[in-house]
Amino acid sequence: MSLQVEDALVDATTEKRRSPTRTRLWGVLLAPPAIWMIVFFISSIAIVVMLSFGHVNDVGKAVFGFSLDNYKALADPVYLKVLLRSAMFAIATTVISLVLGYPVAYTIALHGGKYKNALVAFLVIPFFASYLIRMYAWSTLLADEGLVNQLLRDTGLTEGIRFLNTPGAVVAGLVYGSIVFMVLPIYASLERMDTALIEAGKDLYHSPLQTFFAVTVPATRAGMLGGVLLVFLPALGDFVSAQLLGGPSTYMIGNLIQQQFFEGHDQPLGSALTVVLMLALLVFMVFYLRATQRVNRET
Amino acid sequence: MTEPSLSFNRRDFLRGSFGVGAAAALAACGFSGDSATPSTSASASAAAPMAQAKVDGDLVYYNWADYCDPTVLSGFKEKYGVNIIEANYDGYAGMLAKIQAGNAYDVALPGARYVELMRKQGLIQKIDKSQLKNADQLFGWGSYFDNPWYDPNSDYSTPFSMWTTGIAYRKDKVTTASGTWQDLWNEQAKGHIYVLDEDDEALGMAALKLGLDVNTANPDDLAKIKDVLISQKPYLRAYSTDDINNLASGNAWIHHAWSGDFLNFINNTATDPENWVYELPTDGSPLNSDAWVIPANAPHPGTALLWLDWIMQPDNVEKNINYIAYPLLSKSGPDIYAKMAANYPSLEVDVSKVVNPTVYKNHNATDQAARNAVWTEVKAA
Repeated sequence: MSLQVEDALVDATTEKRRSPTRTRLWGVLLAPPAIWMIVFFISSIAIVVMLSFGHVNDVGKAVFGFSLDNYKALADPVYLKVLLRSAMFAIATTVISLVLGYPVAYTIALHGGKYKNALVAFLVIPFFASYLIRMYAWSTLLADEGLVNQLLRDTGLTEGIRFLNTPGAVVAGLVYGSIVFMVLPIYASLERMDTALIEAGKDLYHSPLQTFFAVTVPATRAGMLGGVLLVFLPALGDFVSAQLLGGPSTYMIGNLIQQQFFEGHDQPLGSALTVVLMLALLVFMVFYLRATQRVNRET
Repeated sequence: MTEPSLSFNRRDFLRGSFGVGAAAALAACGFSGDSATPSTSASASAAAPMAQAKVDGDLVYYNWADYCDPTVLSGFKEKYGVNIIEANYDGYAGMLAKIQAGNAYDVALPGARYVELMRKQGLIQKIDKSQLKNADQLFGWGSYFDNPWYDPNSDYSTPFSMWTTGIAYRKDKVTTASGTWQDLWNEQAKGHIYVLDEDDEALGMAALKLGLDVNTANPDDLAKIKDVLISQKPYLRAYSTDDINNLASGNAWIHHAWSGDFLNFINNTATDPENWVYELPTDGSPLNSDAWVIPANAPHPGTALLWLDWIMQPDNVEKNINYIAYPLLSKSGPDIYAKMAANYPSLEVDVSKVVNPTVYKNHNATDQAARNAVWTEVKAA
């Protein structure tokens, strides 16, 4: 194999056109990630798809089968209701992340100066701790008799505020968990943008705000679309935020899937739900791909 | 800049990967066709030779978090010179799912009905009681657990702890408790009430309130249970099994809770123990138990047997009761617990009542699906 690699290197330097040896090298390099994907990603999806046509036997064991019963069970309006609720939460999360995240990315990219990289690093630091741990931390801080409410009571302004177990808390948790995925792509596209464009906009008698919407926003559309995708998709499938910060009526599709797997003893039904969710996400993915293609054509 | 071209295109690559992936899934996964009926898998594991109680590796230990005195764990490590690799679950169904998926543990602690399920699925191995020096602490003195309902002759399990499910509330906020399950609909605590996030517990609570069987799968009963649980939602803060933390954080004024967790909270966490009441509703209270098992695929069944023996040694029983605040089901356990809970008559757990209609039982697939659907609709509503 080392011989092949050497060959390939020689080929690569001496020959500009592709050769069979060179493609073999790429094939070899592709093998580990391909095996990784097959073992840990594709096979698990395949199991989920196959299991979604199965059922649970009388001793509670999931078995494969060829029935559509699980999909028929999903016709129950309760699932549509939860899916819509999840979509609302995910849309709210995405919009809030965009509105909060854009100024952050803008400030770092255009006014960060020599601290730019340090500022980006600071944004990422909270991610050193797991999402779950941070959610637990929030639920401790914001509890009715937690630190924040104690401080509020000490000020004498309020008797304390109920933060937790509300739809707002779920969305706040989602925003907190994913906003950095909005900031980073926007930051990257702002970084790449030629600031001379902004100067040009001002030279053409645009106000700063007009320049922002006519020049900066279109130039960073690809970054925004990337951010929207990275925030929306995980938010739609999330269950941690609703589990730890939610109330009795904030159940999301992710919670429902988790319940089927871990509580309902019905992994086939959970699999069918997963497949439906994946198909729904696929629709957004196609929308995203088309939108980015349009952006690419325009620029 | 041109991308390096490949002799195979992306689509071929994906198609090939998916094909191999599907094959790998079929080959590797823990699920099977209907052929794996309980009888064949049970006889398969019964035919395997039973393990001997001697060290054959570290102990891979699977339990609730914090459900064992740390000194009992460290004592085991010292005595046998092994490490304990600890994993935790937050619900029996999750534990079962992990073991079904093929994760290998040496010991696990399922609830009674899960012991039955795991036995029928061939997931746990027979335990040779002659290998356990302290077996006389658990069996042979007239204990109900010589032959419990979930495991004839306790062939596949050793009983551990027992508890009731009731209601915890704080007196400074709630003065109008009625002593029945109606307290989980209390107007004073509206928005500060928690119900245990477990299908059996929630459905069982509603059933008792309605005067029905906790294990009912009758469609009319289930419809009533669903309605009554949905009528409760405006009163609830959340569904959660994290009762100790919800009581400690002040979020819960009333909590559907397990007896042992309440006593644990009073003993270890509460800053004002006198302020808290545990009430055993007069319309009936669930009483359930759990037991240690050795999974069929345990990598070190010898060390696992030593653990089962260790955990029933009288001094360790006492340490554990003091730590977890649940009565343990050995000869000495109930008395030690009774002393500890003496100030709280409602926390009394009467071992002789374990054969009662409020024990959670297993269901056939249709009934389980019907109960599951009700719980899903309640939580999604």
